[in-house]
Amino acid sequence: MKLKEVDRTAMQAWSPAQNHPIYLATGTSAQQLDATFSTNASLEIFELDLSDPSLDMKSCATFSSSHRYHKLIWGPYKMDSKGDVSGVLIAGGENGNIILYDPSKIIAGDKEVVIAQNDKHTGPVRALDVNIFQTNLVASGANESEIYIWDLNNFATPMTPGAKTQPPEDISCIAWNRQVQHILASASPSGRATVWDLRKNEPIIKVSDHSNRMHCSGLAWHPDIATQMVLASEDDRLPVIQMWDLRFASSPLRVLENHARGILAIAWSMADPELLLSCGKDAKILCSNPNTGEVLYELPTNTQWCFDIQWCPRNPAVLSAASFDGRISVYSIMGGSTDGLRQKQVDKLSSSFGNLDPFGTGQPLPPLQIPQQTAQHSIVLPLKKPPKWIRRPVGASFSFGGKLVTFENVRMPSHQGAEQQQQQHHVFISQVVTEKEFLSRSDQLQQAVQSQGFINYCQKKIDASQTEFEKNVWSFLKVNFEDDSRGKYLELLGYRKEDLGKKIALALNKVDGADVHIKEEKEESEFLPSSGGTFNISVSGDIDGLITQALLTGNFESAVDLCLHDNRMADAIILAIAGGQELLARTQKKYFAKSQSKITRLITAVVMKNWKEIVESCDLKNWREALAAVLTYAKPDEFSALCDLLGTRLENEGDSPLQTQACLCYICAGNVEKLVACWTKAQDGSHPLSLQDLIEKVVILRKAVQLTQAMDTSTVGVLLAAKMSQYANLLAAQGSIAAALAFLPDNTNQPNIVQLRDRLCRAQGEPVAGHESPKIPYEKQQLPKGRPGPVGHHQMPRVQTQQYYPHGENPPPPGFIMHGNVNPNAAGQLPTSPGHMHTQVPPYPQPQRPQNGWNDPPALNRVPKKKKMPENFMPPVPITSPIMNPLGDPQSQMLQQQPSPPIPLSSQSSFPQPHLSGGQPFHGIQQPLGQTGMPPSFSKPNIEGAPGAPIGNTFQHVQSLPTKKITKKPIPDEHLILKTTFEDLIQRCLSSATDPQTKRKLDDASKRLEFLYDKLREQTLSPTITSGLHSIARSIETRNYSEGLTMHTHIVSTSNFSETSAFMPVLKVVLTQANKLGV
Amino acid sequence: MVSVINTVDTSHEDMIHDAQMDYYGTRLATCSSDRSVKIFDVRNGGQILIADLRGHEGPVWQVAWAHPMYGNILASCSYDRKVIIWREENGTWEKSHEHAGHDSSVNSVCWAPHDYGLILACGSSDGAISLLMYTGEGQWEVKKINNAHTIGCNAVSWAPAVVPGSLIDQPSGQKPNYIKRFASGGCDNLIKLWKEEEDGQWKEEQKLEAHSDWVRDVAWAPSIGLPTSTIASCSQDGRVFIWTCDDASGNTWSPKLLHKFNDVVWHVSWSITANILAVSGGDNKVTLWKESVDGQWVCISDVNKGQGSVSASVTEGQQNEQ
Repeated sequence: MKLKEVDRTAMQAWSPAQNHPIYLATGTSAQQLDATFSTNASLEIFELDLSDPSLDMKSCATFSSSHRYHKLIWGPYKMDSKGDVSGVLIAGGENGNIILYDPSKIIAGDKEVVIAQNDKHTGPVRALDVNIFQTNLVASGANESEIYIWDLNNFATPMTPGAKTQPPEDISCIAWNRQVQHILASASPSGRATVWDLRKNEPIIKVSDHSNRMHCSGLAWHPDIATQMVLASEDDRLPVIQMWDLRFASSPLRVLENHARGILAIAWSMADPELLLSCGKDAKILCSNPNTGEVLYELPTNTQWCFDIQWCPRNPAVLSAASFDGRISVYSIMGGSTDGLRQKQVDKLSSSFGNLDPFGTGQPLPPLQIPQQTAQHSIVLPLKKPPKWIRRPVGASFSFGGKLVTFENVRMPSHQGAEQQQQQHHVFISQVVTEKEFLSRSDQLQQAVQSQGFINYCQKKIDASQTEFEKNVWSFLKVNFEDDSRGKYLELLGYRKEDLGKKIALALNKVDGADVHIKEEKEESEFLPSSGGTFNISVSGDIDGLITQALLTGNFESAVDLCLHDNRMADAIILAIAGGQELLARTQKKYFAKSQSKITRLITAVVMKNWKEIVESCDLKNWREALAAVLTYAKPDEFSALCDLLGTRLENEGDSPLQTQACLCYICAGNVEKLVACWTKAQDGSHPLSLQDLIEKVVILRKAVQLTQAMDTSTVGVLLAAKMSQYANLLAAQGSIAAALAFLPDNTNQPNIVQLRDRLCRAQGEPVAGHESPKIPYEKQQLPKGRPGPVGHHQMPRVQTQQYYPHGENPPPPGFIMHGNVNPNAAGQLPTSPGHMHTQVPPYPQPQRPQNGWNDPPALNRVPKKKKMPENFMPPVPITSPIMNPLGDPQSQMLQQQPSPPIPLSSQSSFPQPHLSGGQPFHGIQQPLGQTGMPPSFSKPNIEGAPGAPIGNTFQHVQSLPTKKITKKPIPDEHLILKTTFEDLIQRCLSSATDPQTKRKLDDASKRLEFLYDKLREQTLSPTITSGLHSIARSIETRNYSEGLTMHTHIVSTSNFSETSAFMPVLKVVLTQANKLGV
Repeated sequence: MVSVINTVDTSHEDMIHDAQMDYYGTRLATCSSDRSVKIFDVRNGGQILIADLRGHEGPVWQVAWAHPMYGNILASCSYDRKVIIWREENGTWEKSHEHAGHDSSVNSVCWAPHDYGLILACGSSDGAISLLMYTGEGQWEVKKINNAHTIGCNAVSWAPAVVPGSLIDQPSGQKPNYIKRFASGGCDNLIKLWKEEEDGQWKEEQKLEAHSDWVRDVAWAPSIGLPTSTIASCSQDGRVFIWTCDDASGNTWSPKLLHKFNDVVWHVSWSITANILAVSGGDNKVTLWKESVDGQWVCISDVNKGQGSVSASVTEGQQNEQ
């Protein structure tokens, strides 16, 4: 199809292949006159701009020349790849002259555009060619058999290829060989072609068919095969193209007889040796395969002859033809419609009618539609055979699972289409693995998870940590799997109890004198009341007197006020204690309001249990201290929230080091989702290894949370799900499909995850046993053949069809609920089913699905035995008894089944059931859990530390429940010894224990051992455990408590966690106490 | 490491021009100058010829698998100016539809993201791009962009489905308001980005100009959740460019030269995670490229007959130091 046209009667030359953009130079043709009989001549340069759909070519420059041309070529001489120097235009003139022009100067509009010229030739210079190997070499041919070789570096003196051929003839064509740089061929209208070897400086062969009817108008070497060339004949009696092979030079290899009249020009495509253009006096432009003789394409032209035809060196589908009707046309041989051209005409028509908005509709008229029928006529079919340059020989495409599909076609010099060699047509499917470290780390993580070797894993990570922060994070994570996690957290924060003890001791020693003094005072005060006998009760009007009066009237409040007013803080507090909890609380408040010491706020928080205040308002530089305080004091139900709060504050701080520390808080809180969010914010997550960094932590933390909270953490947050699926995608992209499946969160309906799972399952080749049947997570869309059927691509099926895990299918274990949720079962069951109390510890609710991905919700039997209860946690001595009642939880109120006084007294405070709000408190275990038939659950590390009253209160409260009235089976005789031994030991401890703290602990222990006794009654304990317990009992008999403790550890580490979790920790407490007390 | 896990002897009788795996990576479709399209089951390293599809009357340039939600559907395009949509029904592959709306070689076919429905873009040497939309009832609606690329369109590639704003804002049950875009490359050395207007017409949105010769292939990178859009393009000029666009309107694209090869570059393909680019060039050279932390594209592997080593990428080392 025609792309462009220029109305010139001119010789033409395309810019060299290196040149971008593509230019076409035209030089006024000699021998022809246009209708004006003008003898002016010019050299023009046009740009081929294919993005411009119009037929016009953009003229870049015109140079008025004094010459008209027989031949014009554009060589790449001195052209660099940047195209700064646009080669050289070489023109053959009428009078034996060769002129070199600088096209860049022509384009620039310079006046001096001629580089050099030489008129050594005789007659018109009709033949010119540039050596493609040495672009400074130009061959020229003229009359009298003159052939010169010009060196553009030394243009003055040309060389000759050898002695002139005889008889003298006009040289009509000249061509350098395309494979061998010192071979040149020339041809003349007499029909003879001569091949020259420049090294020998003589003609080496003459090619002629002796018909004498060949009038050579064209000569071209085969682009690939050194010994082959074609000759075209101008003679109407022999309008042929002869293909010669110099190895068999007696007759042509092939003769192409496709033209009806003499051929005026030929051009052999450098891009595809099977494409030879020829134009003739039959007004045809043909493209034929010189290797077969087949005509591949006939260009639609007008009836004019073309005298020059050229392939565009840069754009292989483009050619130009100069015709005698004074026009140069640029064509594409790829066919295509000429709709564009007609479109322009239509546009012109439309614009004539003012198509902009003739009817004032606000919209321009739609473009005219051309009926298909007319389009049919405009279609120009492409070449019969695809040109070489569109045949893609190689390809590499990625596919799912990090596979790369490659194929290649070894490039054969396919000179003979028929001779094409039989090739192996193979396609390679390869696995691409680029992230070795990522994979090996992922593998380690998977192993750690499978082997439950979390502590080791964390320790390795700690050892390998390169930054302090990384080390901290792993240390924090590791603590989750250890005993006394809160204490260890504190140590990590720099608060080592022993160290602190030493420091305090040191500080006390320094003020030893004062200490003694206090003692003396004490003695004195003890002495006073006893010895004084009588004392004067003053009722005078001064403060003392007023206080006295107030006291005498039982008006504690006024007395306290007076004391406060008089700044007698100690008196005020002491009086307030006597005046009751409410007064005490108020007094404390007032005291704190007045006191301004630096640590007042801390004291305030400690006394008021107002950790929120600390966390919310502490200077963030002191985040460690705040976290330490929370770790020490916070009640289990608040603990996570407080850590979260602190983390959030840190995270919101612009300071990036603090931001990262927020991660530590989230780890303490066990808040996976927030950890992900924070980490993602702080780290660049795009790299696989940084994602690996995150996933390692997340996976470990989730495991920790699962172990400690016994929560169904498989409920995955959006962000975590996104990260996990990203991770799975990365693994898949490295070919680790199985690993990707293992890490992909289960139990989620998120579309991308469901789809990925399906894809992974199928990519594995077959459905994975145990997983949901890999039904396609899409509604199948039907594409019927012939018979219609709906496709309905508007209804995006993902939403409806992704109910892989409907809610009912895998409900969270009853009673284990997420933050903020309320479990109606727990509330409803409690009052009606007290009979379950202490009768059984039901097995941990098992998920209904098979457990083959470690990401499944945890089964209890997989919980590592190492997880022990803190046995020796010594909470700080309570400061005051009343508790700031935490937010009333209606659920807890119901659970208690007791009217709660609005302001509870210390002994019956309505401490809320902490388990309802997330963290499973250890001390709450006996009570609501047992009643609702729920398994004992171990709290996450946060449970231990809550100091002060809550523990005692809770247990008192437990006691008050009418649970023990249920008749139970007797303990089998053989095991009765256990009960008696343990109870005896507790009694012994109780009698020798001095501080109330210990006593309370022991009381508690004695109650909790009921779990054990129940199990003994039910005979549900495994023989190994009972025999272990007997060993412990024996060691108690012998007062070898340390042996008992060893035995204890052995049992815990070898037994099923769910079996022993209810009583083993408390047994350890008892043994430890006994050991300490030495009973 | 690039290691061959399966060598499929296609028994094609002429040059292979394309080989594509399906969505799951279990089936391989190949096409060749021998005018045939073949489908192999390549699970577990095997190679079972499932179908040998005849119907084209010229070399078949490309094959493209539709998303499995629509069934097993393969599109092929050929020098014979036709696009054929093949479909498996009851285990047999048959021609389901033939699109003969082009006047020259159809060089490239690409299925739109499945979210849009079943839409196929076809680029042809006649300079036009046609869009086939399945409208149900066995009917395909055709839209044509004429003169998309003068002398020919060589490649089409869809942008991943991106919804403006959040999915939550979409009324439930209603089709999300996707912005459909695709890229095309052609013999006018241009890459063009096309966008569907609200009236359903396709409009040229951008012209990306950096290549100095035919654009042989364009590949829009899969979305990995980042706001940046990325397109790779390769050309006859031996250059491979990575185009990125950060702004939401999608109007500012900046090219970065990945490499200039000494030969034509035929094909570019992104890994599913969009972090590796496979570049196939003349001389049967296949190389894998990856962006380093500092934004430079680094060649990490030379693949020869499906085999190659992977140089420890610079990125990993740097990551460790952090």
